[in-house]
Amino acid sequence: MLIKIQIIIGLLSIVFLLITFELIRKNRLREEYAILWLFTGIAIFIFSLWPEFFLSQFFNRITGLYYLSAVVMIAFVFLLLIVFHFSVVISRLTEQNKDLTQRHAMLELEFNEFKKRYLSTGDRSS
Amino acid sequence: MIFSARHVKKNILMETKGKILIVIPAFNEERSLEKVVGEVQAYFPPAEVLVVNDGSSDLTSEKAKACGVMVLDLPFNLGIGGAMQAGYKYAYEKDYDIVVQVDGDGQHDPKEIPKLLQSLKEKQVDMVIGSRFITHSAYKISIMRRLGSYILSGVISCLIKQKITDPTAGFRAANRKAIRLFAFYYPQDYPEPEVLVLLSKSGLKIAEVLVKMKQRYSGESSITKIRSIYYMVKVLLAIFVDCFKKAPLLE
Repeated sequence: MLIKIQIIIGLLSIVFLLITFELIRKNRLREEYAILWLFTGIAIFIFSLWPEFFLSQFFNRITGLYYLSAVVMIAFVFLLLIVFHFSVVISRLTEQNKDLTQRHAMLELEFNEFKKRYLSTGDRSS
Repeated sequence: MIFSARHVKKNILMETKGKILIVIPAFNEERSLEKVVGEVQAYFPPAEVLVVNDGSSDLTSEKAKACGVMVLDLPFNLGIGGAMQAGYKYAYEKDYDIVVQVDGDGQHDPKEIPKLLQSLKEKQVDMVIGSRFITHSAYKISIMRRLGSYILSGVISCLIKQKITDPTAGFRAANRKAIRLFAFYYPQDYPEPEVLVLLSKSGLKIAEVLVKMKQRYSGESSITKIRSIYYMVKVLLAIFVDCFKKAPLLE
């Protein structure tokens, strides 16, 4: 029973890692955002190789959690980290977006005034 | 001593040599904007006027341009914080010495601008707030909002160790030092009360002066009755968070 789950999870993590790599290679996913996903994939892969060791010995000894709750726990922690990382990224993007918008408006005003002045002096000379 | 508006204006004109920029943030204010801009130009001709159009979907921008004032067109709505900061950034880059904030809905009386400028100079502070409540004025306001304002001003007065009667007023004048600070950092969510905490953390001085307010020409207050409690909680939370923020460092 356990070996089946092991194979499925192992294959899933390999597919997941391949997709992540492929997206990075095609520039569809930036490296800085991909690092957490790569770690997640690698962690799941290692986990699928020695589930006994991680769940009933190593992890159990540290946290006192047992099999299923341990799996849920690991998944939850990773998702939490990733979502938190996204919040940080979105905050930064919002800030940069705001600065760009303001900059854009200022340049547009500058450009319009320049255009107005240039056109009026151009009229006089011709 | 009582000054008439005209008398004060002359004094200010002689004393302040610096460039003054009147910043009017406007979001869908096409009905009142022309009137506000016209009044500002009529009562305070030496200043230049900058309308910050915060991504309006109506004719705000066109009407402002027709008045012959400068218009900053934000391509989409940033909220009052982002719009005001755009004005401050412009003022900073163009070396204006004083910025006066006037709301686009017409509740601020441009005749009171000289009063703000005068206390900015006389009291040697970095920002002056035009307050509705310093004394018991006849300004009509709902009980809920008065209560909310009371709690808010209590909390803020406590935090910055100075009495502030009207922390949500958007009728303000800022000097070069404050302009510089705001160009680098300006609170985005509830800028009016949050700015006070920011100023006090950065060691800049604030003063209040009583001004007369008019009923707004058009538009609703962004704070309706039902939402006022929710608004209060969110503002207090934002101010609480502000207290733990690092003050922006300007050399």
